Amino acid sequence: MLNWFKIAKKLKAQGVLGMNERNYNVISKQNKRSLYTLVDDKVKTKKLANSININTPKMIGIIEHQYEVKNLLDIVKGHKTFVIKPAHGSGGKGVLVIKEYNENEFINASGEVLSFDDVYQHISNTLSGLFSLGGKYDVALIEETVNFSKVFKDFSYHGVPDVRVIVYKGYPAMVMMRLATKESGGRANLHQGAVGVGLDVKTGKTLNAVMHNKQVTHHPDTGANLMDLKVPFWREHLLIGAMAYDMTGLGYLGADIVLDKERGPMMLEVNARPGLAIQIANGVGLRDRLKEIDSYPQNLSAEQRIDWVLNYEK
Amino acid sequence: MRLFFKKFFSVRCVLSYLLVLSLWYAGMCCYYKIKYWGFSLSPKEVTDIWTIDAKVSFKAIGGDVEAVLGIPTNNDSFEILSEEIVANGYEINQDKENNVIVFKGANKNGKQNLYYRLNIYDDYKKEAKGALAPKKVARPILDDEEKIQMKKIWELTELQKGDRVQKVIKTINQEMANPTMSLVLPLNYTPKEFAEKIVHILSYKRIPARLVRAIKLEEGKKTDKPDIMLEAYFDNKWTLYDLNTASVGLPENWVVFQRGGVALLDVHGGENSKVMFSVLKSVATPLKMAEFRAKDSALLVPYKYSVYSLPILEQNTLKWLMIFPLAILMVVIMRNVIGVSTMGTFTPMLVAMSLVKTGFVPGLVCFSIMIFLGLLMRTLVARLNLLLVPRISFVVIFVIMLIQILTVIGYRLDYEIISSAIFFPIIITAWIIERASITWEEEGAKNTLKEIFNTMITAMMTYVVISSEYVRHVMFAFNEFNLVIMFIVMLLGTYTGYRLTELMRFAPLVKNKD
Repeated sequence: MLNWFKIAKKLKAQGVLGMNERNYNVISKQNKRSLYTLVDDKVKTKKLANSININTPKMIGIIEHQYEVKNLLDIVKGHKTFVIKPAHGSGGKGVLVIKEYNENEFINASGEVLSFDDVYQHISNTLSGLFSLGGKYDVALIEETVNFSKVFKDFSYHGVPDVRVIVYKGYPAMVMMRLATKESGGRANLHQGAVGVGLDVKTGKTLNAVMHNKQVTHHPDTGANLMDLKVPFWREHLLIGAMAYDMTGLGYLGADIVLDKERGPMMLEVNARPGLAIQIANGVGLRDRLKEIDSYPQNLSAEQRIDWVLNYEK
Repeated sequence: MRLFFKKFFSVRCVLSYLLVLSLWYAGMCCYYKIKYWGFSLSPKEVTDIWTIDAKVSFKAIGGDVEAVLGIPTNNDSFEILSEEIVANGYEINQDKENNVIVFKGANKNGKQNLYYRLNIYDDYKKEAKGALAPKKVARPILDDEEKIQMKKIWELTELQKGDRVQKVIKTINQEMANPTMSLVLPLNYTPKEFAEKIVHILSYKRIPARLVRAIKLEEGKKTDKPDIMLEAYFDNKWTLYDLNTASVGLPENWVVFQRGGVALLDVHGGENSKVMFSVLKSVATPLKMAEFRAKDSALLVPYKYSVYSLPILEQNTLKWLMIFPLAILMVVIMRNVIGVSTMGTFTPMLVAMSLVKTGFVPGLVCFSIMIFLGLLMRTLVARLNLLLVPRISFVVIFVIMLIQILTVIGYRLDYEIISSAIFFPIIITAWIIERASITWEEEGAKNTLKEIFNTMITAMMTYVVISSEYVRHVMFAFNEFNLVIMFIVMLLGTYTGYRLTELMRFAPLVKNKD
């Protein structure tokens, strides 16, 4: 018991943000409820992003009704690969990546073979709201897969390595990269065993890496030295995060960004309640960062804010 | 100054004031309910209700009959719940002033039976009141011999301890073998004669005294002789004395029937009259007694608008409902302070409520069987590729059928464990099965079991709190605490500290800096 108090005291001293504090002091003060709909619906987010020139994966189509599910093959005609996402999903739930397919068989990201029935079932589950918040009726979004930049080839086991930028009042506050592992089944969810790499906001270089809350230096499956990681197009990554603030008005958000071989950094989604695991990946608390940003100038444009952050000296 | 106001009227502060206010209010209500309605903090506490039957019987000799029966007053240590008089063909007058019932009948012949039934309950002890100061007592006129005797007795009393009346009682009791005493009382004296003699002795010193007829309440008692006690007036109040022990005051479970009368029953126009008393005991909960007490204290309006005046069925439903806030508080604590993630917000609470009805172990075993069979069935059905809503509906129907089968089997085999299935919320059970099945597919068996485990732990913790008979009683009898819980929950809504599980989660961050 006493030990717990000690831990709590130390965590507080280090500015680690807890779930309650995040909800009460940050999210409820920075994020207006009415703005949530902008990011809870991925179709909406995508349209909004495209309207201010933020790159996103191209949309192939939407399946809104049960009877349209059988048209899947017509919809994806001409695309070698595609991704099915619930428009209202969260945390990567219900995302199905098809790497290869013919009329009868579909192969997903981790190489499993699915029948048309399996995919059909997945989509109808999506429409019924299985993956959406509160189980509301949903829409299945079908979009192009990302052509992953080879830069991260050695750093991820299957799956999508993505960059999560926590943006506070329009300024990038903390960044991490999430790398899929064998254990995480090709997903980039930290609690499922993906590797979280904390990145320096200024440079995009590795600060710290964790897996299952424990510090690691090398990728468990590929053996790549995580300390060598440096994200190219760093400024563009940060810029997408900063623009996500302009686009949504959310004072506290998490932007998920992937790097496409041809199209550069692309925004996958925006989260109005980004998790706190990023602190563990970075090995630092978030509270002090947010406090610091409170003293930054307001009313700068996204470009100016990024310049400010990149040139900021304490 | 502005900062001061801001701090003073922050959400947290305002909620804290309201919490304190609600605590104060609940405290006042508790005090009120305990004092005026006789509520108790313990559910086990019951009030004894005594039923005293007085059967008056005599033989009428033809002609007008008048029977006068002394009855208890309301201002002794007992409170009267109800009275019943059965006397066919008699005119009944209850004389409240003299505490008697007068039965009047005309042209009566032969054996007569009159009934008086009294229900009383043990109320909080009150001072006997309403006893007026008696008239001056005239000194008895005594001849010389008697005077000497009287003086001797009073001399002897000086050897005893206690007040003057006690001294007299003790002296007479002890000195019975003394030859001087034998003159005082006949050889086979009755308690009444004994008491009258003491009244006589006291009158020599001008101390007013009178006989008191009382009945000791004992379950199943039957007697035709009320016990006789003595009451004397000095220091401006009437005091009761036991004639055998000289102890002061009315002993526990005694009820006074009559004070000062010549006889308890006085019959004109009849002979061989007697009163037969029989005593029966029953118990009632304080909640049931509240109405009588409220009536008694002339505070009926607050009682009428309380839940306790509702029909018992509604009361039971509300009693069940009033435990919910506490269960909700448990859920809030488990989630926001401890930080356990469960399947659905209030699912653990509903499971806990079911466990209260089924009993802990039977409920847990039965629930596990249901979840297990449901998951098995759900896995089989997964291959049919049904749409979501029909699929969940299938699980719901399956659970209902499962409950039927389990209940019947449980009943036939006399296995309480199995038949408790009936108490589990069907929809909740179905959703747990569906969620578990999806989590299983999505995040693997480990995460699923962890979630189920968390849910059950939360349910168990909630169960521990709400299964207590005591807690349930307090939450119902003192329902103002629901208000207190409401503010506690709201205040917890402003809690920004770490959750207990976060301490473990973020523990690596502590080590980093060391």
